[in-house]
Amino acid sequence: MATLVHRKTDWTGIVLAVVLTLVIVFPLIVVGTWAFTNVWRYPSVIPQEFGLRFWYQTLARADVWTSITTSLTLATTVTGISALICLPAAYAFARMDFPGRDILFFSFLAGHAFPKFGLLVAIAGIFLQLNLIGTFWGVVLIQLVGTLLFMIWIPVAAFQSVDRRMEEAARDVGAGPFRVFWSITLPQAGPTIAAAVLLSFVGTFYETEGAWLIGAPQVRTLPVLMISFINNQPVIQYGAVLSVLLWVPSFIALMFARRVVNSGSFARGFGG
Amino acid sequence: MSVLKIKDVSKIFANGTVRAVDNFSLDVADGELVCLLGPSGSGKSTLLRMVGGFERPTSGLMIINGEDITHVPPEKRPTGMVFQSHALWTHMNVFKNLAFGLKLRKVAPDEIKRRVEGVLDLVGLGGYGTRHVAQLSGGQQQRVALARSLVLEPKILLLDEPFASLDQHLRERLREEVRDIQQRLKITTLFVTHGQDEALSMADRIVVMRDGKTEQIDRPDIVYREPQTPFVAGFIGTMNLIEGTVSNGIFSKAGYSTPLPVSDGPAILAVRPEALDLTVANDNAQGKVHRVTDYGTHGLVDLELLDSTRVKAMVSHPDLFRAGQGVRLAPKAIAAYRDNAVIHRA
Amino acid sequence: MTTIDSGHIAPVQAERRRPYGLLLVAAPVLLVVWLIIWPIISAVITTLWVQTPEGSEFSTGTYQFFFSDGYSLSNLSVTLWTTGVCAILLLLICLPIALYLRFSDSKVAGYVQGLAIFPMFVPSIILSFAFIRVLGPNGTVDLLANAMGLPKIRSPYLTAWGPVIGLVWDNIPLTVLILLSGLGNVSNQAIEAARDVGARKLQVLWYIILPRIGNSVLVAISFAVLGIFSSFTLPYVLGPAAPEMMGPFMQRTFRELFDPRNAITQAVITFGFCIVFGLFYVRSVAKNRTP
Repeated sequence: MATLVHRKTDWTGIVLAVVLTLVIVFPLIVVGTWAFTNVWRYPSVIPQEFGLRFWYQTLARADVWTSITTSLTLATTVTGISALICLPAAYAFARMDFPGRDILFFSFLAGHAFPKFGLLVAIAGIFLQLNLIGTFWGVVLIQLVGTLLFMIWIPVAAFQSVDRRMEEAARDVGAGPFRVFWSITLPQAGPTIAAAVLLSFVGTFYETEGAWLIGAPQVRTLPVLMISFINNQPVIQYGAVLSVLLWVPSFIALMFARRVVNSGSFARGFGG
Repeated sequence: MSVLKIKDVSKIFANGTVRAVDNFSLDVADGELVCLLGPSGSGKSTLLRMVGGFERPTSGLMIINGEDITHVPPEKRPTGMVFQSHALWTHMNVFKNLAFGLKLRKVAPDEIKRRVEGVLDLVGLGGYGTRHVAQLSGGQQQRVALARSLVLEPKILLLDEPFASLDQHLRERLREEVRDIQQRLKITTLFVTHGQDEALSMADRIVVMRDGKTEQIDRPDIVYREPQTPFVAGFIGTMNLIEGTVSNGIFSKAGYSTPLPVSDGPAILAVRPEALDLTVANDNAQGKVHRVTDYGTHGLVDLELLDSTRVKAMVSHPDLFRAGQGVRLAPKAIAAYRDNAVIHRA
Repeated sequence: MTTIDSGHIAPVQAERRRPYGLLLVAAPVLLVVWLIIWPIISAVITTLWVQTPEGSEFSTGTYQFFFSDGYSLSNLSVTLWTTGVCAILLLLICLPIALYLRFSDSKVAGYVQGLAIFPMFVPSIILSFAFIRVLGPNGTVDLLANAMGLPKIRSPYLTAWGPVIGLVWDNIPLTVLILLSGLGNVSNQAIEAARDVGARKLQVLWYIILPRIGNSVLVAISFAVLGIFSSFTLPYVLGPAAPEMMGPFMQRTFRELFDPRNAITQAVITFGFCIVFGLFYVRSVAKNRTP
């Protein structure tokens, strides 16, 4: 009776895993290695000298610190404003009835019917007349528009998935409408909304095209600085160190938003 | 003294002309358990939600303990509702679910603790306070939902098909428990269900509803034995309803006839399967056996009248009958209906 | 109890449609109108109506210039070529991955899925840097080739293939997710039934699976086309200086040549080329979502 179930070796999976590791993980490991390298001259396969020398040098640069501050301020401002105007709107879409509700809900898709950079150029045409080119608030506005769809659609789904009966039960035991929202609706929808806010923060932090078109060179975010490092900076390690720094928010997002991204509803949000 | 008085209440939903509840009135006495029984769409849940304050009546009055609460929002009503889907707050543990309402009432913390633990003991969940809702079984979740309402000592307990999501075995156990608790606390209760077993086994009185209207309000045994309308007759238990005509005191339908001392005209004859005796008859058969099912303790004979009208009869010796046999029918107790009302009972 | 028993009928409460909701959604809606809908309309108007001293007059001058200018046309054609090649490569790469993920239950599948989604968390600017370090001149691939005694590769950096590789890499996660979500609609029973009547694996793929995920394939392609056609960062950093893709071309016309009118004309032309994909994509998303 010793029938062991022999699972067939999953060769397809192993081949895919190896290829994807080489193509996706390997290049990032190379960048990581460069960041902690003091000397790596051709044609040595491994660096001649590891070390943190270029971390000190990169972090001693004024333009790096200005960019970090600019990026963090921008991302915080945009996410803050976006949450402030989008979350009440999301609640209204999810729970209230008003004229034109459906058409307004789908109006947020408008930006996705057009190629993004073309749209940015068209917006830049408007900003030109308003003297917003090269200003902080010009960049805020253009990045704010980019967050609207996610910051409304994901929280709407979150609010809608809160069981109405749960809210009614709270009314039943004596909570007024505002107390119900605060003690029941918000905590229930909280994790998904937090994921949306996080995604919006990270997306803004990495937004390159709007910042480059509207903001550069006056407003220099980290990705914009990175482009100039790639184009004009002969010291490779500066770019590598900056890459590692830049990736930190992504890493945090990866930790928290993985479940949301892996769930089917996320892909359906993209029309899958 | 009636605790709850519902007077001429109607509900028309904004989108249509359908009267979900149509001119409904009911008095519930102190400590009474009244069941609202009816098929889905009969308006029973809407009625309960109006008592709880979650829907506003289009017209009519709701009075609790002499106070008009028709337009009072749910959080200010002395009612406690247990929802079908239990609607527990999954982001709180059991204790916090129960304590939430008490906290809103600014009850002192040690008093909250005492009352919550008392009610948890009452529903058989002593020591479950720190559990998370998701860790509980379906039956335990429903007990917590009941406790959440009871801990606030509501004047009226509202139960909206509370056992619908549970399996048969658990449902039977819980309804005994709920009935015990209700009688111990003497709490006035309004209970919505579409299951006749639940209504018959728990209720002091049953309100049978159909299309937003009352069909009958009576004690369970009376509703079963003396249904006031053909709908109630057909909805509660199994009932043969044979539509035929009466002339000269004889009811007839497709070769079957029986004396019925009412005036001439159409009539519906109602006979319970257990009140219908069968005898095998080769000549003058009134019907033909279609199928015999043996349940061990008794048997059920499906038969057809000459025009294929189906009739069921309960027999004690199913082995006496086989398919294709001719039979004669001898009802021991009948009722007859005309224009949706009883015209004869014997 | 008799006091209230006199039984008056409460007045009928009409269900009011409160406009509070409109108030709450006003801010984001106005932003969409001001910063998306108005710029698009304005782009078409400002490029077609020229300001002259006597007032504005209709003119298709900038469009005629674009379609007669050799450099503009070669930029357009390299954009079309890049978009087409990327779309085909994406399908060829992502469909097998998605099929594998849908029908595999081995432990490796979780790892593969994690890897396929991972690029979503790598901003394209880091990707560009990594690309240069690996595939650029004296990059890691050159190092390894040299160590094995092989000649250096012909680096795709600053050639038309540079943006292609970068864009495909960048678009793998969403393409896989969209295809995977489409494959979720193909039931195991449908496939088992086909196997039962004697279909081989390829026949199952061709006759059962592909027809059912046709819509998802189109959505994935539309999404990729919209993203790639006017992409900026990757072609700007990895692509050749000339001919350039529409993204960098528009940016240069706008910021370096200070010629917003021609830049906006180029933008309107990209709208024209993508309008079918855009409308299809939006329609599919809207269909999947009831407000």
